[in-house]
Amino acid sequence: MGEEVSKKTYYIGVVLIAALVVSIVFLYVYTKPQAPSIEQKVVVYAYNDKITGIDPSVEDDTGLVVLGSIYETLTYYDYKTSEVKPRLAVNWTSSSDGKEWVFYLRKGVKFHDGTPFNSTAVKVSVERARDIYRETGRGMGYIWDAVEEIEIVDEYTVKFKLSYPQRLDLLASGSYAAYIFSPSVLEKAGVSSYMDRELEDWFNNGNAVGTGPYKLVYYDPVREVKLEKNSDWWGWREVSNPNAPDVVIIKIVTEPIAQYNGLLSGEIDIASSVPRENTKTLLEKGFKSINLSTYHNFVLFFNTKRYPTNIREFRLAIVHALDMSRIIRDALLGYGKVASGVLPHGFPGHVDNLVYQYNLAKAREYLSIAGVKSPVTITLLYQVDYEETRKFAEIFKSMMMELGVNVELDPQDWARLKDIAKEIWRNPDETPHLVIADWWPTIPSPYDYLYTMLHSESKEWNFAGYENNLFDDLIDSAWILEGENYTKAIELYVQAQQLVYEDAPAVGLWDEIRPFIYSGRINLPEEALNPLYMFVIRFELVEVRS
Amino acid sequence: MLSILVILGVIVFSYLLLMLTPGDPAVKWAGNPRGPGAVKAIELARVELGLDKPLYVQIANFIYNFLTGNLGLSIAYKIPVSQVIISGFTATLELILFTYLFSIPLGVWLGLYSAIKRGSRIDSFIQSLSIVLASTPTFWLGSLILLASNTFTGFLPYGRVSSKLVLSTGFTQITGFYLLDSLIQGNIPVFIDALVRIMPPALAISVYPIGVLARVTRTLIAEALLEDYVRAAVAWGIKRETIIRQFVLRSIIPPVIQISGLSFVYSLVDAMVVETVVFGREGLGSILLDSLHKADFRVTLALAVYLTAFYIIVNTLVDIVQATIDPRIRL
Repeated sequence: MGEEVSKKTYYIGVVLIAALVVSIVFLYVYTKPQAPSIEQKVVVYAYNDKITGIDPSVEDDTGLVVLGSIYETLTYYDYKTSEVKPRLAVNWTSSSDGKEWVFYLRKGVKFHDGTPFNSTAVKVSVERARDIYRETGRGMGYIWDAVEEIEIVDEYTVKFKLSYPQRLDLLASGSYAAYIFSPSVLEKAGVSSYMDRELEDWFNNGNAVGTGPYKLVYYDPVREVKLEKNSDWWGWREVSNPNAPDVVIIKIVTEPIAQYNGLLSGEIDIASSVPRENTKTLLEKGFKSINLSTYHNFVLFFNTKRYPTNIREFRLAIVHALDMSRIIRDALLGYGKVASGVLPHGFPGHVDNLVYQYNLAKAREYLSIAGVKSPVTITLLYQVDYEETRKFAEIFKSMMMELGVNVELDPQDWARLKDIAKEIWRNPDETPHLVIADWWPTIPSPYDYLYTMLHSESKEWNFAGYENNLFDDLIDSAWILEGENYTKAIELYVQAQQLVYEDAPAVGLWDEIRPFIYSGRINLPEEALNPLYMFVIRFELVEVRS
Repeated sequence: MLSILVILGVIVFSYLLLMLTPGDPAVKWAGNPRGPGAVKAIELARVELGLDKPLYVQIANFIYNFLTGNLGLSIAYKIPVSQVIISGFTATLELILFTYLFSIPLGVWLGLYSAIKRGSRIDSFIQSLSIVLASTPTFWLGSLILLASNTFTGFLPYGRVSSKLVLSTGFTQITGFYLLDSLIQGNIPVFIDALVRIMPPALAISVYPIGVLARVTRTLIAEALLEDYVRAAVAWGIKRETIIRQFVLRSIIPPVIQISGLSFVYSLVDAMVVETVVFGREGLGSILLDSLHKADFRVTLALAVYLTAFYIIVNTLVDIVQATIDPRIRL
């Protein structure tokens, strides 16, 4: 035993294996995929989350990234000038009491299936969003809650009658629940009523009939979404961009490092979630960046029903021991602005002087007034989904140690965090003392943030358990006053925020600055991004160079 | 019968585990409602999902729905659960099948060569190598391969196939196995692209089966070479090559198949980790991770059941193949 195998077999084996290895290496090194010349202009946009649905009336989460390209709203919010601009509506008027609004619609607009855009489409779209909300509580149709009746004056004129005054032009520019779809969807989906649940399933299965510059051609919420240019879009003559992409692929790439790799390999043209520490490398390699100051903010909620965070002075001690400049530098690598209040910078109603100064001596003074003996231990509940919150938590813990406050960290993913945090209303003593949550808006109204975060009736999202009748009254009054006297309404919102600043049930931590990195083969103008429409890119403004 | 009991056990255990962990699927189903109607929306969603019923009723309903093929809509994505799982399943299965296409022959060959050269330095080297390969963490190796690829070739093997190439060549999915689909369509650019992208994760995953098979094959062959029938064959003057090919190798096929089968299902876990975290490929790994994060219990449960069934089917197939090859084995 142990004799040599015949040399012939041996050499054949060696040659075969060598041939295999050489072939593999050859294929691997020398046949890197070279895309043949593409006649169509294609842009691949990496988005960092799977799509949760694309029903234009009900969707209120990540589906926005698709909805914003295939549907349009009656008006469009220009965040730079804080003005409401025409879109599907060219003009609008309101009665002096703000309870009657007339919208004059753009003529000659067609939906993607060729059906005409008109008053009927507006009526059906708005009523559906409103009614689904009223009946089931789902979606953001509450923005239309004041709408009592929608009258079709003529084919291109719609009158809204409201039960209380509202800034309907602002609401109509919302990032959710304000999209106009064609009534032909009823026939396509085989339903007789827009309230039929099957219509929702039809939309979420990858069907869409909007008026936008791009139409949906392929929908896989887990992998990618493909959009094709709508050559009949009314706005092409206005944007005057012959180099707009013919095809847009919204590719779901959840890992930031995979987005980075995708940019480098040329697979991705625009990425919105690369690791912050890699952005410099990309810029050095010739990629470009737009740093968008978003309305996406992060807020620290105090459990106002549990000792010691139920003591106002203790909360003030915490906030004065927080060095936010260091957080912005070390946790966010500069991609953030220190928040002032709970409304983000640039958002209507934002107030600039609601920042707590970092002052350890003052913090210790408040701690002493609070009568809380150190060492004391509190729990911080935060999201693991964001790298920034993970880093913040660690730095926060070390900062609080200087104050003599021990912090136990409780990292959770979003679904669990929400579940735990809202228990404050049922079991406050078992709920963490601190919760970090993030927010982005639906409509350009302070009510969107303030109601959801701190109104005593907002049991799902008021993680502070804050109950202040004066605050509730201020913002409820302001919400109604927006339609009658917008300036006065903003004043009330400012008062409400000052109340929050003094009470400190919640503290704005930072407003996100998000870098959109893109390759040199395209040009991404700043106008293509808008913080109200998170992650939506106006591809009709993007130029494909090569 | 036993398999059915196993699956039922997985369903019950998984359901209980999912329902008892924090994370409310009703919130996700309602769409994370934020307005004044949020509470109402969540309560209605709870009823719609059947979560207001006692646990045993919920489990019974799930089993019934599962048996009737009605897995419902994914809570996170609002599309059929089966659609979510199938797209991921084909991606992961393609990766493992490709891996084993070369891992089994290579592992067996190494083991054979080592056995023939037993006692020599080559034998020692191969034995040591197989231990190293079987013990190497796949995640770490995958990261190393990615780094090496980028450093030496400038190419980053990310994703399953280039979206732009798919678009420009008109590639369409037929089976979901891109290598096969591209060959069917005669789409060579996409075939090569998919092949180049699947190789690095396949290499990372292959080390375990190669290592295990090399060791097992070496032991089996070394033992077989000492058997009386081999001595007799040598005495009769039969050529060495013929003895190994016609007698020795045949005798080791059943155990090699069994080891390969066990290793195959083990590699599923490796594949799910490597494809998701290292190479950014779609597959069961990212679907499972997402379903847990988003409290999508329908997808998580369906995955648990399908993976269990997959294990059972593979092991059963292995038994059938063994019984077919070796008449001494009875099922």
